This record gives sequence, structure tokens and C-alpha cells, in this order.
Amino acid sequence: MKRTLVLFCLMIFTSPVIARNIDLSTVPARDTVQLTIYNAEDLTLVRETRVISFKQGSNPLQFSWANTLIDPTSVELKFLTKPDQLTVLDTTFPHDKPQMLYWNVSSEFSGEARVEITYFTSGITWSADYTAITNPDESSTHVEGFVTVTNNSGEDYEDAQVRLVVGTINLVEKIDQLARRGVEPTSSAQGFDGSSVLGRRNQAMLGAVMEAEGLLSYSVSRELGEAKQVVKEGLSEYFIFTIEGTETVPNNWSKRLRSFDADDVPVKVQYRYRANEYGNQLVKMFLMTNDEESGLGESPLPDGLVRLFKRNHTGSLSYLTQQPVKYIPIGDKIELNLGQDPNVVFELIDLRAFRDNIWGSIDARFKRRFDDPTVRIEDHGRVEGWDEHTVYAQRIRNYTGKPIDLEIRRAFGGDAIFISRLDTQSHDFQTVQYTAQIDTGESRDLVYELVQRQGSNQKQNRVEIMSADPADVPWMN
Amino acid sequence: MKRIGLLSLVVAMALPLVPNPAEARVKLITLPVRERVEVQLDHAHATLVEEERIVPLVAGANQVDFSWANTRIDPGTIVFRVIGYEGEVVGKNPATQPEVNVLSVSYPPGESALVWDVSSSHSGPVRVRISYLLGGLSKSFNYRAVAEHDESTLTLARYIRVQNFANEQYQDTQIHAGLGGQFSKPIGLNETKEILIEKIADVPILKTYTCDLAQYGYLDPAQKKLRVPMHYVLTNDEDHGLGGESLPHGKVRIFQKDSTGTTAFTGEDWGSFTPIDDKMKLYLGTAQDVVVKRTIERRDRTKVGGNLSHFDVIVKYEIENFKDQAVVLDIAEQINNLRNETGLGSNQQAEWVIGEQTTFTGGPDAEESSQHRVLFHAELPARAGDKAEKIVHMLHLQFRNQF
Repeated sequence: MKRTLVLFCLMIFTSPVIARNIDLSTVPARDTVQLTIYNAEDLTLVRETRVISFKQGSNPLQFSWANTLIDPTSVELKFLTKPDQLTVLDTTFPHDKPQMLYWNVSSEFSGEARVEITYFTSGITWSADYTAITNPDESSTHVEGFVTVTNNSGEDYEDAQVRLVVGTINLVEKIDQLARRGVEPTSSAQGFDGSSVLGRRNQAMLGAVMEAEGLLSYSVSRELGEAKQVVKEGLSEYFIFTIEGTETVPNNWSKRLRSFDADDVPVKVQYRYRANEYGNQLVKMFLMTNDEESGLGESPLPDGLVRLFKRNHTGSLSYLTQQPVKYIPIGDKIELNLGQDPNVVFELIDLRAFRDNIWGSIDARFKRRFDDPTVRIEDHGRVEGWDEHTVYAQRIRNYTGKPIDLEIRRAFGGDAIFISRLDTQSHDFQTVQYTAQIDTGESRDLVYELVQRQGSNQKQNRVEIMSADPADVPWMN
Repeated sequence: MKRIGLLSLVVAMALPLVPNPAEARVKLITLPVRERVEVQLDHAHATLVEEERIVPLVAGANQVDFSWANTRIDPGTIVFRVIGYEGEVVGKNPATQPEVNVLSVSYPPGESALVWDVSSSHSGPVRVRISYLLGGLSKSFNYRAVAEHDESTLTLARYIRVQNFANEQYQDTQIHAGLGGQFSKPIGLNETKEILIEKIADVPILKTYTCDLAQYGYLDPAQKKLRVPMHYVLTNDEDHGLGGESLPHGKVRIFQKDSTGTTAFTGEDWGSFTPIDDKMKLYLGTAQDVVVKRTIERRDRTKVGGNLSHFDVIVKYEIENFKDQAVVLDIAEQINNLRNETGLGSNQQAEWVIGEQTTFTGGPDAEESSQHRVLFHAELPARAGDKAEKIVHMLHLQFRNQF
């Protein structure tokens, strides 16, 4: 079995001399390991404990991490037993051994002590995804959330406690770059002291995570056969998912675990037209809410891919769509776009265009007929401002077998008036939203007139909503 | 039997994952066969395969290994559903409900495989369904229409064509195309199968002759004679024997019965996606016996003031029907094309009204017309002897408030 992360106790009874060719060492095994994995950055905080025998006096320790992606500047040693009698005197990164360090530990006693080593590694990532299966009449959905941990760090982590952090953290340098570069100084990383680099990096973020350790307990033994629970805990700007018990994630493997399972999540189906969000088409939307009432709301939903299926009357599945969703806070909506529905026909028909309120300027130039001085005409007037009217029919035909809710948003530039008898409201200063319910088998024309003030008639840059009948369309009469 | 794209389901009884991926995973395997396969082709862009297998589980922890080679399964879409225990459940306690849980899924490196950790409360066979999206299995639709000799009705046959380039063969597969119900067919490797979905007799044909300069152009530009295409129009509603569901896009091959009882191929066209109540318009060819000469009869300007004017445009159609039967000719004008043709092109929208000198009766067809296009119907009598009556129609449009 590949073991890349090794802690040696060097059998040297004088002060440690690093550049030695012949060494004798013991290898204390890893006792426990905990992984705290971030999804916003390629960053994992590893916390492992080992039991080491110390002799009174100076004890050299060697820690090496060949072929892994550990940030050497983040490695920290802490004493869990007798911390007042154990001291790290110095830390040395030998120039000829890139993935290795030596701690020179001074002990006031002879005997065993438990130590904790923490460090950052890159190469371990986690992601969320969701499978939603709607019932045949599309009124409720069975939603399962999953987390997948992928280990490409170069190290096998056996029986590790796994914690997943949701949230955006700030890093000034990427961990994989630090892992490759080693401990060479950079212009922005000054004053390296080697013993407690971890604390310098991002106090706020790590502080939050360290604090979580005291809050969470995962030594739970469950009945065989029950899926593991994922404990969710909010912390500062982050959310931590702790997977019950321990997991083994070998290098290059991925493991997917269920993070929640919600049955009968109510679904609202709505048909939407929003050109800037969904393109120039009417799309079918599935709307759910991440709240307790819906059987969800236990935690925010991290960024991830949602795959939506429909259970047919025969029990088999049909594929509906898959789409990435952004982080959904507790209480927020989950909106899934199913694309165009072939059973709903949506057309915008231009019925009529006309102009009125036409204003012109007249300059002082006239033409006179030379062979008849009584004829004198003004010739140089120009149209300067006018109102452009367009009458539209938004035609919707519903062949879905049940009534549908429709919400249409249209944006109009310039100085405009939206005239209709529709159920209309202003979405923003340039966007009108109107809604309707179309019955089964119904074909309905939602008719409206748009007046756009042009030229010198344009005084505003906003759309005004007017409840009135749109202009007639003479050719249809 | 050639086994390309073998989908093997492997049960490794209670073996822990060996953490080194470079080493072979040691497995004791059973091979549960497919009990049933369904292929869902109802999505526009994706094919979902759902297979049912009976997996023997022992009480406690089980590993179920699913692997696929040389097939384009999207592993992220794999859904594992437990339907229930089959037959007698060994050691079942009547007080407790047998339970099967998927605990986790592991993805070994470098393999098209995954391993489900499944717990079972009892030993016994369990029916499971595994669904996934599969590439290489696609569908298309086509039609075959046989018109009666008098072209009053036709028999429309709808076919689905399923192409299997998924590197996996499917025996006795339930196929659902989203249209026309479910059917069971085997589909072999690299096989294309065409299946009749339904055959509808006595679908009424509306035969139309249409001239539209912008859309179909001239037959003889020098003489200003328009091309007059002939279409079969099928209306997708109950009154016309259809209307059960939307008609998908596909090629329509049209045949006509001749006087001897056999059929002759009269043309083919792409039938566009046709929702219920819409019309599928199939182009068969150009009608040479309906002659339409189109000229611009008048273009007059009326000055309103300054640079603001109204324009009167009259389009003249001289029409002859050399057929020995009366037909209805559809005459369409695209408003902006007419404006450009008469030098009235503008970035502004056309403000138009139909002028008094228009000779078409009944006004524009409300269904076929809009702000951008007008369509009128002209009834043409049959040729009398060897002489065709010349019918003249005028379309008078006034373009108002142009500047």
C-alpha cells in the first residue's frame, strides 16, 4: 500500500543534525484523520493525530509528504497531551529534500504523547448534485441531494472523518501552487517563521472551521443498513456538512453519499417568457422552495447539478432536464427550466402599426411659382416627433391537458406606454409583466398596444402601464 | 454472441474497497440478467434507458458493481431504484418491513464503472431499476401519404425510425417515443429499425395554389409571371382525422393512386413540427396551368405637410386558370417587400390600410395575415373549352404617414 505521508521519530540523542546520511527512525502510525474539504477553492484542511514516544530532552521529528499536494507552509504540530511539557524549538525545511521538514521538540518528560498535525492539501474536492423525480401529474417531487468527494491528492485517506464546507472563502495564494513551490519566499509572503504558518493565512476562515470542531460530534454508531446522516451546521458565512462516522477515500477514487432525501416536495409549474433569462421562447418552469414546509430547508443547497426525471404511470422514468443551480439559501426558490413544451404553442403576432401625434418644424423657406405669383408654398417642414403605435396579439394554445399559469415579461426601451386590459404590473422601469391562466385546449390572444414616443415626443425613458382597450385592427374587421 | 458494450452487474459480497486503485479489485461476482428494458425516446435530445434486474442480496452490507464498456453512458445520470424483494424473503420477521438502502456510490479510477454500497435487512433477491442517459440511440420520424386518385383524401402512415449506434443490443425492448404509445421490439447492434406508429385513412386534403413574390419568386421575371406552387395542406385536428397529438418533423413521401389502382410517386417534402390545430403544408411542385401576371399598377404620393406623405400603391394580378376544374388561388404580399419594390422602404414600420380599389372580396384571411403579410383568396373558374377566362384583381394599399 502506498504511504506517502510519513512521520519519523529520529533516533538521535543529541541535538538534531539534519544532513545525515545514515538514520535510524521509527514510524508512528496515523491514529485518526479528519478532512475538512472546501468546494469554493481547491483546499482541504487535514487534521491527523498520532501517538509518539518522547524522551526527556531534545527529540527530532521528521515529517515528509512525497508525491502529495500539501502546502508545506501550512504544516503545524500541536501537542494534545502535556502541551506544557512539550515545545517545538525550531522547524527546519532542508534545502535538498523538498517535501520534508524537521521539528526539534523539547520534552520535559519521557513517555507517550498524542500530537496533532494539521496542514492544507489540494487535490481533494467535493461537489453536490441532486436527483429529482416528479410524480406523473407533476405536483410533487422526490428530491435527493448527494455529495461526492473526489480524492486526487496523492494520498489515501482511510477511515477519515469527512467535513464539507459550503461557502466562498478568500485565499491569497492557491494551495496547489504553494505545494509545488515549497517554502521559497515570495514577494507577498514575508517573515516566514515555520512554526505556525497556518494561523497566518486566513484567520477568519480557519477560526470558523476550528470553532466547528468543538460543536460537532460524529462518533455515532448507527444500525447497519441505514444510510449515513449528514449533519448540517451553520457557521459564520459558511455551512459545514459533517458525514457521520468515517469514510475511506483512496487516491483517485470518488465517493458519493446521500446528503438528504425529501419526499413529496410540492412543485408549482409555471410557463415563463423572459427573453434576457431564457431566450426568445416560452419555457416550462418547475418551482420548489427550500423550506421546511416543502420538506427541505434543513440547510442551504450548495451549487450543483440538478437532474430532473418524471415517473410515468407505468413506474418507469422519463428524462426531463438537467441544469446547474447556484447556492440556494434556506427559504429561497429552486427554479428548474425544462425548456419549451411542445404542447404549448406560443406566438407573437404583429397586428397593426400606425403613427399619430406627429409634430414637425417649419423653417422660413417658401417656394413661389414664378409664372403665378399668387402660388406660394411652404416646402421645408420636417417631422420632428411622433408616437409609434403597434398592436400585438400574444397567442397561446394549451394542449397540455391541464390549465397552465403563464407569466410574460417584456422589456421596452425609450418612452413607452403599454395599453391593455391584461393582468399587468411593472417589473422594472422598462419591463412589463403580465400573467394569465390558459385553460385546457384553450387558444387565447392576449392583445396589447405599445406606444413608443419618438423624436422630440420622447420625454422619458420608461414604460408606463395604461389599462385601456388596445386600438382596433381595421383589416380584421 | 458479440458482446460489445457489456453492461454487467456484479455483486461482490461484503468486500471492503481496496484502497489502492492501481491494483485489481478482487471480486466474487454473480451476473443478474436484464429482466426488462425500456427505452424512453420522448426527450428531444436525450435517450433514457431503464433496465430491470433481480439482484441477490445478503442481509447486511453488499456491493453492487455496475460497469459499462464502449458505450456512451452518462455516469452522472445513473439512477438506482429498488422496487422490492422478489418472492420469499429469507428469515423475514413479519413485524419488520424488509428494507434495502443505497449507502454510497464509489467511482473507481480509470474504469467505466461504479460500486453501490447497498444494505439489505434480509437475504433474498431484490428487483432493482437502473436508469441512465445513453448516447448513440436516436430517433427520427417519417411519413408516407397515399392520395386518392381525385386528391380529395389520403392515407397517412407515420413511422418512427430508431437507430442503434450505442454499442449495445436490446432484446425485446419496450420503446416509448413520446408519441404514439409504447411498443416492444428488439434492436440489434448498429441496427436501424423503422416501425409503423399509426395509419390513418381518409385524411382530407386541402389542395392550395399560392403566389407570393417574396417567398416563391417569379416563374418568368421578364413577363412578371409568378411561380405558383401547389401544396397539400393537412390540418392536425379531429375534423380532419388527426389532432391526437402534435405531428413531429419528418420527411413526407407522397404517392397518388392512378387509374389502374397502382400508385405513382408525386413528390416529397419536409413536414415541419405541427402542433394540434395547425396545418402541415407540403410542397408538391409548381402548377403550370395557373398563370399569374403581377404588375404595380399605380404608385401615387399625397403630401400631408413638410416631408410627411401618404402613398397609394395598387398591385394588379392578371390570372388565368387553364385547368379544367375551378381552383382557389391564394395571393400573398409581404408588406416590406412591396414597400422596397415601390421605393418606399423605410426603417419605420409600415402604417398601411387596405384601399377602396381592392377587388378581393371578404378582406384578408385573418388566420394567414398579419401586420407584415396579407393573404387573399381568389376563386378561379375552370377553363371553358380551350379558353381560359382572364380574371383581374387589384390590391390597393395605402401607406400612411411616411417620412
